Amino acid sequence: MTGRTRDPDYVAPDYIQPMELDPSGNVVVVPDERSTGPHPSGEPAGEVETPDPVPAPRRWAVRLLVGSAAVLVALAVGYDTVDLVRRAFDTSMVLGIGAAALAAGTVVGAFGVVAGELRSLRRLRQIDGLRQDAEHLRAAGTHGEAERYAGAVASLYRDRSDLAPQLTSLKDHLSDAHDDREVVRMVDLQLLQDIDRRAYQLVLRASRDTAIATALSPAALLDVAIVLWRNLKLVREVASLYGARPGYVGGLKLLRRMLGNIAIAGVAESGNHLVAEALGSTLAASLSARVGQGVINGLLTARVGLTAMHLCRPLAYDETNRPSLKRIRRELLSVPKQVL
Amino acid sequence: MPPSPFRDLTNLGGRAFDRVGELTDRMLDGNLRIGVTGLRRSGKTVFTTALIDNLLHADRLPFLDVVATGRFIAARMEPQPDQAVPRFDYETQIARLTAPDPAWPNNTKVTSQARVAIRYMPGSLLKRRLRGVTRLNLDIIDYPGEWLLDLPLLDRTYAEWSRETLALSRRAPRDALAAEWLAYLSNRDPSGPAEEAVARRAAELYTNYLLACRASDQLLSLIQPGRFVEPGELIGAPVLAFCPLPEPAARAGRHTLWSMMEERFEAYKTNVVRRFFAEHFARLDRQIVLVDVLGALNAGPAALADMQTSLSATLESFHHGRSSWLDRLLGGRIDRVLFAATKADHIPSNQHGNLRRLLDGLVAERRNAIRFEGAAVETMALAALKCTETVMAEHQGRQLSCVRGIPLGRTEPTVLYPGEIPDDHRLLDRDGIRKLNFLDFRPPTLAGRHGRGLPNIRLDQALEFLVGDFLS
Ligand SMILES: Nc1nc2c(ncn2[C@@H]2O[C@H](COP(=O)(O)OP(=O)(O)OP(=O)(O)O)[C@@H](O)[C@H]2O)c(=O)[nH]1
Ligand SMILES: [Mg+2]
Repeated sequence: MTGRTRDPDYVAPDYIQPMELDPSGNVVVVPDERSTGPHPSGEPAGEVETPDPVPAPRRWAVRLLVGSAAVLVALAVGYDTVDLVRRAFDTSMVLGIGAAALAAGTVVGAFGVVAGELRSLRRLRQIDGLRQDAEHLRAAGTHGEAERYAGAVASLYRDRSDLAPQLTSLKDHLSDAHDDREVVRMVDLQLLQDIDRRAYQLVLRASRDTAIATALSPAALLDVAIVLWRNLKLVREVASLYGARPGYVGGLKLLRRMLGNIAIAGVAESGNHLVAEALGSTLAASLSARVGQGVINGLLTARVGLTAMHLCRPLAYDETNRPSLKRIRRELLSVPKQVL
Repeated sequence: MPPSPFRDLTNLGGRAFDRVGELTDRMLDGNLRIGVTGLRRSGKTVFTTALIDNLLHADRLPFLDVVATGRFIAARMEPQPDQAVPRFDYETQIARLTAPDPAWPNNTKVTSQARVAIRYMPGSLLKRRLRGVTRLNLDIIDYPGEWLLDLPLLDRTYAEWSRETLALSRRAPRDALAAEWLAYLSNRDPSGPAEEAVARRAAELYTNYLLACRASDQLLSLIQPGRFVEPGELIGAPVLAFCPLPEPAARAGRHTLWSMMEERFEAYKTNVVRRFFAEHFARLDRQIVLVDVLGALNAGPAALADMQTSLSATLESFHHGRSSWLDRLLGGRIDRVLFAATKADHIPSNQHGNLRRLLDGLVAERRNAIRFEGAAVETMALAALKCTETVMAEHQGRQLSCVRGIPLGRTEPTVLYPGEIPDDHRLLDRDGIRKLNFLDFRPPTLAGRHGRGLPNIRLDQALEFLVGDFLS
């Protein structure tokens, strides 16, 4: 087969004659190296505004207040410590060295903790970024841009031995022929859906735990403590499963964001409705308030967990694979029977 | 030679009996007939082979839902339902394609049929409770692409067909190929006496013309009747001894050349075309239309137009529409049609989008008609056997997306920049020409290695569209 020339005079402005190039020349296999530069012929990714689920208002005054106060406290503590160490040296050499060592240990430890928290916060931000990238890729339908995304997601789970089979199968199935949308879908299908399944199990278990624990707990104050502790634990578990590995601050931050976002798509159902459903069923209605409270706390935990799944996933759910409360609710409504 | 009414009746009886058997079959198991439709050299045989191979191995179909969700259990080839039709020789084809020195299939000469049985777990809890492991039989037939173009003959009379065909043969680029036949015709009188020798000679010259069309590098698709170039079991049969004639001025009486040819044309329609259609295409559930867009692009706008006409005429013969459960049981209507641009591996993958849109434009009219009738339609760019990989190469300071593979007849891989295909066929006309050059590639060496099935492009998505709902 050869290309025929029907109108030899016509040459498109930036036309390049079809040709064979030297295979030994500077040829780059696409899948590995695509991320090194912009794709020459792919259209530029269309600017798609994806609304940030959490609008972060600039509360500079609050920041100023907290920042200054923190520095002040640090300064005060620092002065006191230096003073303390000096006085210790005055008393005896040994005591002085001991106090200095303790102070140094405290400082190093504090730095370590802060660094760890910062790192975990960065990871959370990175995941947010990935989720936005994926939205762009899905909307633009370009070609050759998504390898970087797939690579980033894969490297998020690089050290996870439990995900090794999924990572291998992702690598096996991706080929140079897939366009960006297909690559994103493949990441979803081969890698994330497995994590989703496990996260869902975690949520299920946690919400059952809270429900039963609340139902059995003797004091209301204890309830609050149980719910808080279990939710925080769940959030950290889910986040770690998705590769976010949040520290304490990260976990708290997530939890706070979550409480603000609990109405995020799909998980949203009016609270009244939930209560009605929990209590309105003939079974639950006949139960003591404690058990009813347990079911409600369980549902709350479930919603926290599902929201955590939404917020920690490097790819937003689409209509088809969004996790639903339905199964958890069914499970929870059987709790009263177990308890009694 | 009019068909005997009794033979028709016994045929009918036999067929009704077959239908009863098939009906029970359909009720017990899911049976699905997929019509692989495509003009000659469009890639039907390769597609069928790759489809079977990938189902048997199920390791390169990530987007086929039943596989992705782990519900796929296994698949195997089974004896096909029609005992009279030869079996599709999958083993030979796959052995040739995956040999150390691989080769493409030869032109298909006869019809053959394959049945793949798939065992899977239903997706919905209810179905799983009710039926447990379920199976689905996919029936596919392979046939010479030339025969497909006989279908439009069914609603033409001899006079109409003669007029169209003669007009076509007098236009470039066919006029040169048809010269000898046309010269012979000009010396004969259609209303003269019916002489067998004249008929045979005319049909022979006409066949030569058709063969020349087929061999021409212009990739002319419109070659009718198909049995003249690919006779199958009909070699030398009298039913093939006719050709288009210029219409006589007065109505031709009996025993003229015209009336003899007309009779044979009608016999051809009844005995050959209608039978072929009834046996293989009348009861399809799903259809995939393979279109060699790139081959036609390579050959130029004339070939593209020719292909467009042929496809459109052919597709009119099928019954499309939304099918009720009763239709499904009886196999009456095609409710999903996939138009697929084949051999997408001839171009770098960033052009697949354009290829798809180009095909979309080419078949727009048919597609809308089918959609109007109620069937779902989709277009896709796919490669049943992926022979190349997309690479970036630098040329005069510019990065070009190229394909790398071993061209047919060579042993060393090359890197080819095939040009950029436009996303609309009208651009081809306006710019006069887009210079394009696609090479035919060899099948990849040891393609079926590691027992993963043939490498492909979007075969899984094609399958998901065609049969996905039956495997849910
Ligand atoms: N690169 C590439 N070439 C293909 C592919 N499929 C088909 N071809 C080429 O197209 C040619 C024709 O393929 P076939 O499958 O034999 O076509 P067909 O429709 O069965 O043709 P007939 O039997 O003549 O009707 C092959 O010989 C290959 O050169 C594909 O997926 N990739
Ligand atoms: Mg064939």
